[in-house]
Amino acid sequence: MQATHTADAATVFPWFGAASDSSSRAAVATRPESVGADRGAHADSAADSDAGAYGPHLRPNPNLSRLVPLLTDLAGRLGPLRARLARYAEPLAPVTARIGALELLLGGLCVLLVTRFLVSGQIGSGGLQAWETVFIAICVQAIPFVVLGTVVSAAVAALVPPSFLERLLPKRPSLAVPIAGAAGALLPGCECASIPVASRLMAGGVAPAASLAFLLSAPAINPVVLTATAVAFPGQPQMVWARLIASLLASVAMGWLWAGLGRPEWLRPQLREHEHHEGGRLRSFLAALEHDFLQSAGFLVVGALMAATLNVLVPRSLLAGVGSVPVLNLLVLGLLAVVLAICSEADAFVAASLTAVSPVARLAFLVVGPMVDVKLISLQAGTFGRAFAWRFSAATFVVALACAGLVGGWLL
Amino acid sequence: MPREARAILLVLAGAALLHLSVFGDGYLRYVRPGMHPYLIAAGVVLLGLGLTRAFLLFRALLASGDQANGDQASSDQASSDLTSDDQRQPGSASDPHAPSHLRAAWLLLLPLVAVFVAAPPALGDFTARQSGNTVAKPVATGFPALPAGDPLTLPLADFVVRAVWDQQDSLRGRHVELTGFVLPKAGGGWYLTRLTITCCAADAVTYKVEVRGTTAVPRRGAWVRVTGSWQPDGRAGRADDVPIVAVTAVVGIPAPADPYE
Repeated sequence: MQATHTADAATVFPWFGAASDSSSRAAVATRPESVGADRGAHADSAADSDAGAYGPHLRPNPNLSRLVPLLTDLAGRLGPLRARLARYAEPLAPVTARIGALELLLGGLCVLLVTRFLVSGQIGSGGLQAWETVFIAICVQAIPFVVLGTVVSAAVAALVPPSFLERLLPKRPSLAVPIAGAAGALLPGCECASIPVASRLMAGGVAPAASLAFLLSAPAINPVVLTATAVAFPGQPQMVWARLIASLLASVAMGWLWAGLGRPEWLRPQLREHEHHEGGRLRSFLAALEHDFLQSAGFLVVGALMAATLNVLVPRSLLAGVGSVPVLNLLVLGLLAVVLAICSEADAFVAASLTAVSPVARLAFLVVGPMVDVKLISLQAGTFGRAFAWRFSAATFVVALACAGLVGGWLL
Repeated sequence: MPREARAILLVLAGAALLHLSVFGDGYLRYVRPGMHPYLIAAGVVLLGLGLTRAFLLFRALLASGDQANGDQASSDQASSDLTSDDQRQPGSASDPHAPSHLRAAWLLLLPLVAVFVAAPPALGDFTARQSGNTVAKPVATGFPALPAGDPLTLPLADFVVRAVWDQQDSLRGRHVELTGFVLPKAGGGWYLTRLTITCCAADAVTYKVEVRGTTAVPRRGAWVRVTGSWQPDGRAGRADDVPIVAVTAVVGIPAPADPYE
């Protein structure tokens, strides 16, 4: 029965199953009882064996001896009853769970379509509308980059054999990390694009330390971002160099730090290797694209909600008070980069407008922003797990500030 | 997340991007004009992916219907395939892990609802009032000569930066035309205000000039075009300076398609 089912499903759903396959496989292994109509039979035999197993152990106690036949009888009756109920409910469960969600979705969409013509552009006033606008702006701005990142990562998954990725980098992390960090310059996009790609590299067998160095360096040192920095700071090429060097230094340091101190159990395994072996390349490409996009987009929304809230609530005039206190303004601008969550292609312009603070602190803003911000923490939690996201982000924040301070003190 | 819902979300996300970028200028309220081709490309990819998924689900529905007629033994399997999420694995239809899989993707509904239903306007006087007033000092040495024209149409940000930081006083004596919205000033009078964005509305920066020479204060947030000339106040060269423009005419205009500079 299982064999026919698998075969049926494979022919009925030719390719879209591939992406979700890995996740459901693990779950199925831990839930062997969930095989549709077989469940009743399993539960029956389980109840019988329970009664037989507990009976003899309880019998020596004289006080309980009279209860035992009753209990075994009850268990004997309840077992099949429960099993029978479960059997009747079984076909309904997926229907209520899934069709219910779908109907809610469709019904809700119809209601919204009607209300759209009544309330368009009128929900909330002032602050709430500004919040809505910033929220949409962050999502709309980031989604093309999420699509770019997932297309690249899905293409890597479908076209590049894992053995190639493994051979691409040296085995020793001391060498692989700097090479992967420098390779970040090859992905022209902002930070939302680099997370799916880094996850794909890990799934493809690249050492996590090297993938993480790539994850951190790609949004900061690619040509698009460096060009934007040069435009925002005209006549100050040292700012571009300082950004390049400090970002590269911080990402390589984090890669090595992970290689030395990171524990694999913090990192959610990126189990996707077997996609290559199922269906054609186009099928696995499309399935991976769908899965990665929906996954990233969901967590992007969480990040955008936080970023929009902080963006509207935190007044920029806060900065005026910080002035040029050496270490404090470095820290404050680093925190500002975390809460504002500005795209790495635009943060140079914002940094240039912060004239009240020292150049080193502005460099800290530029180095921290693409590596740690509320939107990124949310995306990382979705991809690599929460245990990883907060540890990694906290460590990256400290390392990035230190690198910005060192390089800024030297160059600016 | 059910497969059907994935298809719906993908189609809606693609439709939202195309709604903002192809059918109207809605995207200009949220991001810079340069994002236009990327929004279209991403919208086409998402819409295509969602439609492909929907087509395959529909085909699978037909195929499993045929199968159920032909093969009675597998009919219950086939019907469970119609509703199941990760049906490649036997029994995963009742797997509690499956619905929670990709659960976060439901959140994608929030921005979709915001785009289609709330459709908030571009940032305006609220943001301008909240933000501080600092005019970044351009590091380039000197400003290029202003083009000819009387009145000379200038972006408000250019006017402000030149008024504050141009040592040659290139604005002196020039008749300029500026466009922006109205932000009432505490204690009477008003500012002509414009927001600039470099990537999206999250990084909006406010530029404002104080309008003198007119007694009437237009409605808060109204868009106006003023003609007038710079009135030096001796505070130029300070980052917190708000330049003054003495106006000769104030004309109400409809909000421009691109509200930012």
